[in-house]
Amino acid sequence: MILETLSTLFLVLGAFFSFTGVIGLFKFPDFFTRVHAASVTDSIATILIIFGLILRTDFGLVAVKLLFILIFMLLTSPTASHALAKSARHGGLLTLAETRAPKKEDND
Amino acid sequence: MAHLMIWALVLAVFWLLLSGFFKTLLLSFGLISVVLVVFLIRRMDTTDNQPQKLPLSFSFFRYVIWLLGQIALSSLEVTKLVWGSSKKLSPAIAKLPVANTPEKTRVLYANSITLTPGTLSVDIDEEHVTVHALDAQSIKSLEAGEMATKVSSVTGAKN
Repeated sequence: MILETLSTLFLVLGAFFSFTGVIGLFKFPDFFTRVHAASVTDSIATILIIFGLILRTDFGLVAVKLLFILIFMLLTSPTASHALAKSARHGGLLTLAETRAPKKEDND
Repeated sequence: MAHLMIWALVLAVFWLLLSGFFKTLLLSFGLISVVLVVFLIRRMDTTDNQPQKLPLSFSFFRYVIWLLGQIALSSLEVTKLVWGSSKKLSPAIAKLPVANTPEKTRVLYANSITLTPGTLSVDIDEEHVTVHALDAQSIKSLEAGEMATKVSSVTGAKN
């Protein structure tokens, strides 16, 4: 009973953070800030949802598999974000700070 | 040689946890896979002279717990920025020095930066990690170097 309530709390919080990520994705002004918004969904929402689901299992093999999924997500999602940001940077996309003050310097 | 035994053990446990069956056929498939993977690891170790050890130390788990706490804290910050007025955004970009650290440390550091919402490692090379932050404040706290010290203590202990 307590576990179920806790799990519901985690799942609702996870859904809220996912939603926050989506709102931020639409609201933020440029590419790099949008990646930040998406990383909320990547990190905290994933952790909360997976832990919420683990609390609903009987703590056997299914829980372990969910943990493996979590570890996999925590390893791959920053790599994907980094790949996106790096290619944007090397493609010459300027950040908001640099477009606001364009004279300062031009680092690569 | 010792780290190959650890690899074999970890891989065997991984197989058992994923399959959950204890029939002879499936166990023998697992044995074949483990032997094949360990053989490949050994070959690759002798090819590139970089033995791949598993980060199975106590300090690594303590670092992961700390990182999860940081993720929760900075998620709240970003959530505040998302729901608040967008004029409060002060995106900033900076280069953090990572010279003289082993490659593994740099990778863990850059990945931790990206994993924490609000900071994003844009570029990484031999001397610098270029970090983009949603809030100029988080660049300052990265420059203070708490995460850098923790990362290098985690990986430095084993190298």
